[in-house]
Amino acid sequence: MNPVHPAAAAQASSVAPGDAILFAVMAAWVTFFAIFTITRRNPVTAVMSLVATFFGLAAIYASLSAHFLAVLQVLVYAGAIMVLFIFVVMILNREEVAPLALRPMRLLGVAGAVYLLVVVWRVVLRDGDLTGAPSVLPESFGTVASIGDILFKSFLYPFEAISLLLLVAIVGGVVVSRSHQKEAAALRAADYRKQIEHLATHDYPGEQSGKEEPSAAAGGHH
Amino acid sequence: MTFDLRLIPLFPFLGAVLLMLFGRKWSRDFVFVVAALAIGAACVVSADACFFQLPDAGAGGLTDVVGTWIATGDLHIDLAFRMDGLSGVMCMVITFVGLLIHVFAAGYMADDPDYARFFAYLNLFCGAMLVLVLGDSLPVLFIGWEGVGLCSYLLIGFWYSSNDNADAGKKAFITNRIGDFGFLLGMFLLFQYAGSLSVPDITSAATATGPLMQPLWLGQPVAFWAALFLFVGATGKSAQIPLYVWLPDAMAGPTPVSALIHAATMVTAGVYMIARMHAVYMLVPAAMAIVAVVGAATAMFAAVIGFAQNDFKKVLAYSTVSQLGFMFAGVGTGNFDGGIFHLVTHAFFKAGLFLCAGSVMHAMSGSGDIRIMGGLRKKLPVTHAVFAACWLAICGIVPFSGFFSKDSIIAGAFGTEIYGEHLAWVGKLVCVMLMLAALGTAFYMTRLYLLVFSGDETRADEKIKHHIHESPPIMTVPLAVLAIGATLIGLIGLPGGLVHHPEANLLAHELQPVVGAELEVAPSIEWGFMAASLGLAVIGIMVAVAFYRGGYKEPARAFGAKFPGFLRLVQDKFRIDELYDRVFIRPIKTFSRGLFTFVDRIIVDKILVEGTGFVVDIFARLARAVQGGDGQRYMAVFAVGVAVLVHFATQPTLPFTKLKVTQTGRAVEVDAHRGNKQSTRPLEYAFDFGDGRPIVKGTAAEQRHDYDRAGNYTIHVTVRDPRWGTENDLKEKVEVR
Amino acid sequence: MPTSYYLILSFVLFLIGTAGVLLRRNALIVLMGIELQINGGNLALLAFSRQLNDLKGHVFAFLIIALAAAEAAVGLAILVGLFRSRQTINLDEATLMKR
Repeated sequence: MNPVHPAAAAQASSVAPGDAILFAVMAAWVTFFAIFTITRRNPVTAVMSLVATFFGLAAIYASLSAHFLAVLQVLVYAGAIMVLFIFVVMILNREEVAPLALRPMRLLGVAGAVYLLVVVWRVVLRDGDLTGAPSVLPESFGTVASIGDILFKSFLYPFEAISLLLLVAIVGGVVVSRSHQKEAAALRAADYRKQIEHLATHDYPGEQSGKEEPSAAAGGHH
Repeated sequence: MTFDLRLIPLFPFLGAVLLMLFGRKWSRDFVFVVAALAIGAACVVSADACFFQLPDAGAGGLTDVVGTWIATGDLHIDLAFRMDGLSGVMCMVITFVGLLIHVFAAGYMADDPDYARFFAYLNLFCGAMLVLVLGDSLPVLFIGWEGVGLCSYLLIGFWYSSNDNADAGKKAFITNRIGDFGFLLGMFLLFQYAGSLSVPDITSAATATGPLMQPLWLGQPVAFWAALFLFVGATGKSAQIPLYVWLPDAMAGPTPVSALIHAATMVTAGVYMIARMHAVYMLVPAAMAIVAVVGAATAMFAAVIGFAQNDFKKVLAYSTVSQLGFMFAGVGTGNFDGGIFHLVTHAFFKAGLFLCAGSVMHAMSGSGDIRIMGGLRKKLPVTHAVFAACWLAICGIVPFSGFFSKDSIIAGAFGTEIYGEHLAWVGKLVCVMLMLAALGTAFYMTRLYLLVFSGDETRADEKIKHHIHESPPIMTVPLAVLAIGATLIGLIGLPGGLVHHPEANLLAHELQPVVGAELEVAPSIEWGFMAASLGLAVIGIMVAVAFYRGGYKEPARAFGAKFPGFLRLVQDKFRIDELYDRVFIRPIKTFSRGLFTFVDRIIVDKILVEGTGFVVDIFARLARAVQGGDGQRYMAVFAVGVAVLVHFATQPTLPFTKLKVTQTGRAVEVDAHRGNKQSTRPLEYAFDFGDGRPIVKGTAAEQRHDYDRAGNYTIHVTVRDPRWGTENDLKEKVEVR
Repeated sequence: MPTSYYLILSFVLFLIGTAGVLLRRNALIVLMGIELQINGGNLALLAFSRQLNDLKGHVFAFLIIALAAAEAAVGLAILVGLFRSRQTINLDEATLMKR
């Protein structure tokens, strides 16, 4: 971490009022919807408010000159992941009777986390700003081109690794969620069809022995 | 001179092992052949060693060192055997009489389903007994000692399906064990003071000025106590007062067992042991006096009990105890030749008597109750002849063997000079007691003879009378041989002075290298006692004849009517067993039960075992509370932990840090270091000394301050960490004079 | 805006996510709380990335988003499986451990 003189920091942290208001609004939006998410009884409402949170976050990312990531946030996070959540919520939609489990240990955990926030607050915001001024950024900071550049050059291995991870996740998802009974039933049905395949004759209208095979084979892939 | 003495016990051991492993698969005849061959081979080798090798052997006799057994520190024991005159005689007795009894048992046990096991045990016993007599050191002797004790237990309780038999076996073993404890104590003393446990070493250490004569307890030397402890062992093994109680019960075993073990061999081990340790005993006449008196007392006591017993074998059992008393009286008076002589003659005639008992019981369909016997001399002629020979021997009628051996002991007791002035009366006392015992012996043995064999009518019912028959030759031949022995074996011990031929006493001559010279008694005393003991024996016989000839006659019944209580007391063997039960056994049982309920049930089971489980369970419950499987809870704990860690990591001072204030007059030095470590981070300190002076700020952890005025001040230090923005206050009161 | 404000905001998001994870019974809401936590971390990364003029933070955040997608997929699949075997997504009801 670069040590920064408090004086310089105080200088650089003069913020334009517009920026301040924008930040305040976005922060409020995100915080509000985040709290909303975790306090809803109805999971559908919770999911929707989480989507709203992510939109707000995307805006914040944009304000941080992380343009590519802002779009990514909307597309992937709010777009794909939340849609997945919606699917599952629709399958499992149940209302909670008593949503919150206010057990002592857990409340203590929340208190601990709040204390951590207090510490961070004190550390970061005391005597002005510990972190100092943001650097002057080039024009191309955070654009698709620049990130693509660095991603495919310096960070090729992590990139490939993450794609492998996604493959694993796909396989894992399928494996975990398939129904064993339905799978077994499908296999049995395919076997059965194979067994009775020989019964088909060219007496049946519109069918020839050649056509039987593909359909039997197709029947196997349920 | 070395000789393969190890073969002598080895053959019977081998026989025992083979029979135990394969005996059940072999035919009865083959089993017998194996067993008889084993003991026969031992007999042959013993004879070779004793009669052909030994004369050329020189001073130490024949030796055979098998190897080192124990070699630790000061203790060095070899597994070694030695045959000299004493052990040679013993070996011949054991193997020869043992062989005869093996042959007898083949007939006696012919119908028993455990035939092979019986012969296996018999062989094992013979092997152990041979080890006992051939052992060249006390531990090797003790191996044999324990071995015969074990075999005694196995053979007494041979028909173990009956509780009584098993109990008798246990009683024998346990009583023996008590004696063995004494034996061990004796061994310990001898090792401690003589430095070795081998017989030659102990013998050479046993001199009047040697280490064994150091005073030990009560002013008596080591040798006295060692001799006494060893004698305790002998009372157990050889059934003297007070440990004789197992022998009568041991009659529960098969008769060949009683003959071999409880007449001829095992019970004589005590006498042999004293003879072997004669060097130690001769040092302490007081101990020998005790031995002799106990032996004589036992002889009398057992004889009286024998008067009123109604079981054939029980009479013989008490007779054995009594005769053993004679032997101990013999060795106790320094007459080692006499004691061993009687041992040899007793082996023959007592074994003969027991085997006759077996023959008679065989004929009486297993019953040994002499009240229902009678008139058997016509029906069992051979048995009768053998019994008569042995009876005359035991009563001490010339020229049967018992006469010579018994007389040797009695005369020797009178004429002994080993006691010195103070205890000279002991010899005379013992002599008198033995003569009374001899009188009693004649009486009860004649009683037995008459009640069983005399008269015309057998007093049993028809069913039993019908089956009375003489035993087959396999049983009668050994009987005959034993009878011949009982008659003639006296010739080996004829007193030399009497026959005017110093070499006449073959036995003494044989034993001389071992136990020293024969006890010389003046010929007149010798003749006198011969006449006296003969006379007493005749008197005893005549009284018995008056009481019992042909059955229970008037004098017997009158006596029974006049003293019924006394009669019952004698019949109940003076209720010694009941006494022991009351005094020893019941308290031990109560103590044992108490231990069991308290120590075992409560302390071990409840407290230690269940308690351990209980404590583990408590800890397990506590531990289980930590892991609830609740992931959210884990995260909560995690968060709390992180919060705690971060809190303490960011504080400038450790918890419970105190200011270190050192006062010198009005000046104070304050040290606000974090704990006892130097802080590696730059901290800001603000010292307020409480006297209104400006606060001293800086990065130094220590400050000096001079107070102007005396008084109580509170020093207040604020420590701040600029990095985290955290602050701590430290306060300390100080009194300035 | 000074980076520290973004840091505080990211921590607040993380805190709200933690509260959601710790205090809710519905497994779906718990997963959403986890997403909030992740996003809090992302925000911090991007704030520092801007502060230090280093694109590594962006790359890192990008990989995290991909990872979050994978994790959400598998997590939801497991959730569906849980529902199938226990007929409930209420974590207190679904647990087999003793209370």
